[in-house]
Amino acid sequence: MTTEGLFSLLPLFLLSGFAVILMLLIAIYRDHNLTFWFTLAGFTASFASLFFIQAVLPRQIVPILIIDNYALLYWGMIILASSAVAVLSYNYLKEHEEQKEEYYILLMTATLGACTMSSASHFISFFLGLEILSVSLYTMISYLRDRLESVEAGLKYLVLAAASSAFLLFGMALVYASTGTMEFARISESLSANGVNALTLSGFAMMVIAVGFKLALAPFHMWTPDVYQGAPAPVTAFVATVSKAGMFGLWLRFFVMINGYRYGSLLILFTVISIASMFTGNFLALMQNNVKRILAYSSIAHLGYLFVAFLAGGKLAIEATTFYLVAYIITSLGTFGIVTVLSGKMRDAEDIEDYRGLYWRRPLVATVFTAMLMSLAGIPLTAGFIGKFYLVSAAVNSWLWLPVIILVINSAISVYYYLRIIVVMYRRIDEVTPAVETTTGTLATVGPVMQPSISLGGGLVLAVLTLALIWVGVFPGNIIQFIKDMVSSLSSAAMPMHTAQKIMLFR
Amino acid sequence: MLELLWMVPALPFLGYIILALFGGRMTKGISAAVGVGMLGLSALITIVIAISFIASPPEGYLFLQTLWKWVDVAGFSPAIALRLDPVSLVFIFIITFVGFLIHLYSVQYMEEEDSTWYARFFAYMNLFVGAMLMLVLADNLLLLYLGWEGVGLCSYLLIGYWYKDPANGAAARKAFIVTRVGDTAMAIGLFILVMAFRTLNIQEILRHVPLVWPVSSQAVVITALMLLGGAVGKSAQLPLQTWLPDAMAGPTPVSALIHAATMVTAGVYLIARMHVIFLQAPEVMTIVGIIGALTLIIAGFSAITQFDIKKVLAYSTISQIGYMFLALGVGAWSAAVFHFMIHAFFKALLFLGAGAVIYALHHEQNMFKMGGVKNMLPLTFWTFVIGSASLAALPLVTGGFYSKDLILYLAFTGEHGSKLLYFAGLFGALITAVYTSRMVFLTFYGHEKTHLHNRPGPVMEVPLIILAVLSTIGGFIELPGTLGHFPLFSNFIQNILPSPGSGEGHEGIGTELMLQIVAAVVAIGGVFIGYLLYYKKPETVQNFKQTPSGQSLYKFWLYGWGFDWVYDTLFVKPIDWIAQVNKSDVIDLIYTAIAWLTRGFNRMFSFTQTGRLRWYAMGIAFGAIVAITIVVFL
Repeated sequence: MTTEGLFSLLPLFLLSGFAVILMLLIAIYRDHNLTFWFTLAGFTASFASLFFIQAVLPRQIVPILIIDNYALLYWGMIILASSAVAVLSYNYLKEHEEQKEEYYILLMTATLGACTMSSASHFISFFLGLEILSVSLYTMISYLRDRLESVEAGLKYLVLAAASSAFLLFGMALVYASTGTMEFARISESLSANGVNALTLSGFAMMVIAVGFKLALAPFHMWTPDVYQGAPAPVTAFVATVSKAGMFGLWLRFFVMINGYRYGSLLILFTVISIASMFTGNFLALMQNNVKRILAYSSIAHLGYLFVAFLAGGKLAIEATTFYLVAYIITSLGTFGIVTVLSGKMRDAEDIEDYRGLYWRRPLVATVFTAMLMSLAGIPLTAGFIGKFYLVSAAVNSWLWLPVIILVINSAISVYYYLRIIVVMYRRIDEVTPAVETTTGTLATVGPVMQPSISLGGGLVLAVLTLALIWVGVFPGNIIQFIKDMVSSLSSAAMPMHTAQKIMLFR
Repeated sequence: MLELLWMVPALPFLGYIILALFGGRMTKGISAAVGVGMLGLSALITIVIAISFIASPPEGYLFLQTLWKWVDVAGFSPAIALRLDPVSLVFIFIITFVGFLIHLYSVQYMEEEDSTWYARFFAYMNLFVGAMLMLVLADNLLLLYLGWEGVGLCSYLLIGYWYKDPANGAAARKAFIVTRVGDTAMAIGLFILVMAFRTLNIQEILRHVPLVWPVSSQAVVITALMLLGGAVGKSAQLPLQTWLPDAMAGPTPVSALIHAATMVTAGVYLIARMHVIFLQAPEVMTIVGIIGALTLIIAGFSAITQFDIKKVLAYSTISQIGYMFLALGVGAWSAAVFHFMIHAFFKALLFLGAGAVIYALHHEQNMFKMGGVKNMLPLTFWTFVIGSASLAALPLVTGGFYSKDLILYLAFTGEHGSKLLYFAGLFGALITAVYTSRMVFLTFYGHEKTHLHNRPGPVMEVPLIILAVLSTIGGFIELPGTLGHFPLFSNFIQNILPSPGSGEGHEGIGTELMLQIVAAVVAIGGVFIGYLLYYKKPETVQNFKQTPSGQSLYKFWLYGWGFDWVYDTLFVKPIDWIAQVNKSDVIDLIYTAIAWLTRGFNRMFSFTQTGRLRWYAMGIAFGAIVAITIVVFL
């Protein structure tokens, strides 16, 4: 490994280094404020280093990591999202937990895991990255030890993630058995040379299970609402954004590098998964009264949308999915951010009744939330609209009419539950209808769960996210061009889907 | 000075915005000052522009002012641009100046309304004028259409101004829906133009039409017919004239504005503006002429039977616009515009005069309950008589004579003219004179039947005087060959619109003189008939009305030749019936079913979310089986 190679690993070194520094710091002097600022410093340093290493890219680090502009873009996204989560967590933890400081170490390592994943070029780094991320997440999800549902969520996640990891390992083993290598590039060569057999395909299918689990795609999605609901709100934001971005970045790279678009059966699998995710997510969200669960279901549907464009293949698919991911991260951080800032000591602001008349109490927060929900619904002038538009145009370009039609139908369904939240927020309190039954069947206690005021940091994050949302929605040109430039290292290798396959699949 | 052009439509819009935003908190005085002031300024600027335009005409008698590009997508880039040429200059002059007088008059006429309603009135009026200015100044048809629709909207708002009476709301809806029929036709015409020329710029379309579409080709005929449809709707011509009499439900100044300055003349403007298309489609030109001729006669007969003074005027407007259409149909473009101008003067005068009477007699509109107003309101009487003389086209001293005579003369001698149309016009002139004199005699002569309630003040009287002067001297800017030949107006307009190609050379001055004498005799004869029937021997008419045939004829004319009845039977009732039958909306069932189905799915899927870990693990296992099956066996 050359010096430049080492240098290009700087962002990862910084993340892991700061994780160690935080650990030592807590051992010496336990202080929430200090830990928080060190965390932010770590993220900032890591993010700043992205600009310096760009000059020496692309780099292949031994066989296991590839650091190119594509990886850089995903790193940037992940680190920024993690910093936002850190800021949101600060006030949330201050209210909730005695032992706050370790949380930041976990946040740091989880981020490191996600970053590793998005630059993986080998099964080893794939699995290592995934486990660094997952193990940190088990603890983060159940971080509020005195909250029963939090512990329950962590446990559920642990068991199911372990099961899915088993599938992943088994799948990798199968692929290794038939190709004799664990490097993405070599796998691709071997497949081209020797063709594909049922064993290899089963291996890929098993890997898809793990990927589907992490991305919460149907039918591997069932943990999502429970974990989203049980986890502390900022951790939910992290699970919804960073962990998915890391996994998706990896999978997109892997699929493009092995040129998975060659295999019709894999595409059929993804079509089924994508359609199932859209319907499952939206149908389940429809009559839901828990905002966190609604957002969980909505994220299932959104990943389903994402895979419609993923199916399209070629350059456009990479650009469209990456752009959509950016929009999705902005909105998800925004929505969970709002849940976070509104959450009180006893419980999170997750019942839809908590949002009744929010506009009349917190006009600004309600407006931001409205904008975020509009973006999720794909209403014009928001990032969500441009993202969805991009998805559809990529898919239409590859003649994926069936998934596109289903996407459109599902967008229509989804508007219902987004609008439901919005409508509730703009109702006046005095129009409250008689006590509403919640999911558990008991009467909702419309108690004072709300924090008296919103922290400066939380407000700042929300403001930035709202600006980004509108900016991307109104002037998408710059960011689209930026993404195009950044992903070109991958998209130049991408092959468009074979026309014969298109016809076979979707005629 | 021409650079000030943008302010002409901008000021009324500004007035609208101010009144709409703050009108609720303004006193009546401020509202009136804003409403009238904006229009006054606009009129002032128009006059300045007119002077500088006439003194030093821009190249090609055309001044373009591009304000900004609206959108620029795939080669379609309509600009927000204004276009000033002799035709639009005449129109903006009438719109702002007459509009200003009407606004001024309204200050007193509407004083009984409370301040919010008062502000609302002026806001709509300003918007109305602004939209109409947009319409006539637009340099492309898209912008013109915006003004066109804006005018339609404002007419709806103003006709239904007193919306607390459901009848007024119905009248407003009727106006909106009937004109909407024409608007749709016009929109289709615009679509055809866009498809054919990839632009809506008026100048470019006019330049390309003769090159691309041969005379009488299918495309040009259809386009012309569609544009005519729009014009017929807005200008209340056959067969879409039924909304205008009902539009009298609005306050009288609104009627004056609709009839004189805005709205109904839009159709005339559209045809004059797009004349090249019509010249390429001579069949449609003929249809325009025939529509005009039929309308002017039918409306004339209806006017004779009305008892509401405003309805007389409404039918007379339909009839007078019929003259303009007739002129357009025979290619007498400048004559049409000339008649538009003179008509604007005297029709505004008549409406405002009628309004003064109505105001004075405490909202009495029935002429048979008026009588003897002559002595009560001498100034109103004299100005009203001047306006009526112009309407009846009494020879030499009235503007109406010169403008109507020009139309008749060109119908007789013009290149596209026809003797039949001429005689129709002549016959219409007779009827016009009859109903005009009937209106004057019934309203102002005889003995008093209603007592004086209010007295119009100077803000109502000054506009009357100015308009009376204008409707008299307005005619002198266009003197026919027999009277010194002073065609100032025609020359001005013909810089931009083609001359009718009349045969002054081969017809000779003798024909012209003869035609004028005939027209003069007909007008005077008509007035005399009116004098006989409605002043000297009113019992003749009464007796005739009592006979069964007289009774039915009276009813037939009174209700506008049964058009309303026909439309009611053909369109309104069936649709009402369908709505009645389909109360629970069959089509809605589809959506209800979808919602029901979706909820069902929701319930079904909810069963999967048990919260049990083993079940979730099962889900993953199930997914694994499905995935591997798909991959291996497909």
